[in-house]
Amino acid sequence: MNVAVLRPQVPFARGGAEIFTDRLVDELRARGHDADLVSVPFKWYPGARVLTQAFLWRMLDLDEADGRRIDVVVATKFPSYLVRHSDKRVWLVHQFRQAYDLDGTELGQFGDSAEDRAIRRKVQALDRVALGEATRLFAISQNVAGRLESSTGLEAEVLPHPPQALDFHCEGYGDFVLSVNRLDRAKRIDLLLEAAALDTGLHVVIAGDGPDRERLEQIAHDRGLNGRARFAGRVSEEELADLYARCLAVYYAPLDEDYGMVPLEAFLSEKPVLTTTDAGGPLEVVTDGATGLVVSPDASELARAAGWLREHREDAASFGRAGHRVAVEITWDKAIGRLLA
Amino acid sequence: MRVAYFSPMPPERSGIADYSALLLPALGERLDVAVMRRGRKKAPRGTDVSLYHVGNNPDAHAWIVDALRRDPGVVVLHDFVLHHLVAGMTVGRRDGHGYLDAMEREYGVVGRLLAHGVLDKRIPPLWESRPADFPLASFVLEHATGLIVHSRTVSELARASGFTGPVWVVPHPAWPVHGITPARVSAGPVIGCFGVVNASKRIPQLLTATAKVRDAHPDVTLLLVGTTSPGFDLERRLQRLGLAEEGLVREGWTDEARLWSLMAGADIAVNLRHPTMGETSGSVIRALSLGKPLVVSDVGWFSELPDEVALKIPTGDDEVDVLSAALELLVTRADVREAMGAAGVELARREHDLGRVAELYAAALEESAGGAAVADAVLRDVSEAAAEVGISGDAAEARQIARRLAEVELGT
Repeated sequence: MNVAVLRPQVPFARGGAEIFTDRLVDELRARGHDADLVSVPFKWYPGARVLTQAFLWRMLDLDEADGRRIDVVVATKFPSYLVRHSDKRVWLVHQFRQAYDLDGTELGQFGDSAEDRAIRRKVQALDRVALGEATRLFAISQNVAGRLESSTGLEAEVLPHPPQALDFHCEGYGDFVLSVNRLDRAKRIDLLLEAAALDTGLHVVIAGDGPDRERLEQIAHDRGLNGRARFAGRVSEEELADLYARCLAVYYAPLDEDYGMVPLEAFLSEKPVLTTTDAGGPLEVVTDGATGLVVSPDASELARAAGWLREHREDAASFGRAGHRVAVEITWDKAIGRLLA
Repeated sequence: MRVAYFSPMPPERSGIADYSALLLPALGERLDVAVMRRGRKKAPRGTDVSLYHVGNNPDAHAWIVDALRRDPGVVVLHDFVLHHLVAGMTVGRRDGHGYLDAMEREYGVVGRLLAHGVLDKRIPPLWESRPADFPLASFVLEHATGLIVHSRTVSELARASGFTGPVWVVPHPAWPVHGITPARVSAGPVIGCFGVVNASKRIPQLLTATAKVRDAHPDVTLLLVGTTSPGFDLERRLQRLGLAEEGLVREGWTDEARLWSLMAGADIAVNLRHPTMGETSGSVIRALSLGKPLVVSDVGWFSELPDEVALKIPTGDDEVDVLSAALELLVTRADVREAMGAAGVELARREHDLGRVAELYAAALEESAGGAAVADAVLRDVSEAAAEVGISGDAAEARQIARRLAEVELGT
């Protein structure tokens, strides 16, 4: 089957969606399909540019490529699903959240002017039309499917996918809690630093880079974490697998995350996950007292939970092993089987 | 975003006043809404968009249409047939020429001649005898920058009459249902009918059908709630059908609390009408929320109700027979009543949820206020890019671009 995987591209940025789509193409090829990535740059500002940039996808002709029929297109996130195709399958990573749940928050983009309000509504109208055209509609998590249903009335099948392929393994339960994430405010890594300030026995390693790094380093400095918070920056795949292998637990508590690969990566390394009650997608796999600990988004609660894991390493290991059993059930065979059925 | 809101408001006895009282708190959570006092002629400075609730009653809506005609905005068209309103705003103000002009604008010379006939009292007033044949909706539509309607029926009628602006179909909101004590008027099955009592609500047919059902099921009671229209001789009809002494409980106008209690105490809700003015029914929405099985006429908005919640009665020669069969079914089958009631509650929750309706209003008003500027910005961006690579406005490629824009609702 000839499959085009569609991905909007923000030049110079690379995150979960990019890892996911690259891997999807590889996995499709590994199963004998002729798959390729189709990518179009995306810029969502200023003003109505979000609409014209989205419209670029509508002008693409993906019926054929050099005389070869493209059997299926798989769109992933806004605005790639604006494309026209007779077999358009959408595996929704996320909508343009600034037009939905992030509107009116500090992460929103649209102001109160009549024009801004109307642009936001147009984005919603694009979603209703373009997602309504899909021959199959999947979402990477229940959280994403729920947002879609409440915003457009469209129902998506939940279809999770496995995380990136690393040399996942476990070398015991060390003395640090690991954070793996892009450093921006929505990921709430400051909460972990505040917890470390409250619990002098808590050591943290923060892998990843991003615009919030300077602020986070300042917090670590101001709280006197002196060597108990290490900013590892962007790490190689080997280094990341090693950090997973050696940590006590993995912290992952963005605000209302779409899905989140980190908990699954932690589980594949047999590590429990520390998250919060408002984390969204991670709560679909992290069960309090079974595969990790789920606490309210409060530094003292988090500090208490991390301390408990430190003092109950057998339980931490047991949670990690339970998580491993969850993670190995999510396979590319199953995902691609349903995607192309 | 600031919205100037023109509507009748309680304590006016109007379904649209009740509607606005229900909607406004939820709308106010989403937009900066200023309710205009009755008689206000213009929106305050700084208003982004004006919203005008228009129905067929000139007493309630003439001042609103006056304001609309001065300052166009989004119209909530509660009725499509507006002949009575237009007559009130012209003939009722001793402006016969205005009525002649309105009739001629929509129906040509024939319309003007008919209007002359009405003014000269040679033919009965058209707003009483044939309003649905001469809806006179353009009197309002030509000043509307967009339309909010409650049904596909009215949307299609507006399009058919030549309205080309944006139309948003927004369901009638459902009232929250809590703390209602059902008022039972009889131990036997109760058929409830709520609203004005007159011929267009098919009360004669309902009385006859009820009498037929009572022949086999004498424990059935018809509960009629609402004021009787002048000229409708209810008492004589009841005497003739033997419903005057037993089988009927009559209440006139009731306050909101009593209305809910009586409706909650009924087993079946009947809401018939013909002709329809394209209106929705607040009583039907209430009945859905309460989980009452419905019997409605198969016309207009009522036809759009899902079959799971309503038995639909055609308005032809066999209307009474079909109606009595429907009533008999519901009187005798508790399981059918329960299933239809449950489907009604689910429909009210899903489609008529107040928050959802307010969100649809907010979307319509925001699109209306800023939509044209956004469409201009998109078209400018796209056309500039096309022109830079030599695609002119009349090229086939330009037509394809226009088609693609229209497909995703980005075109004008």
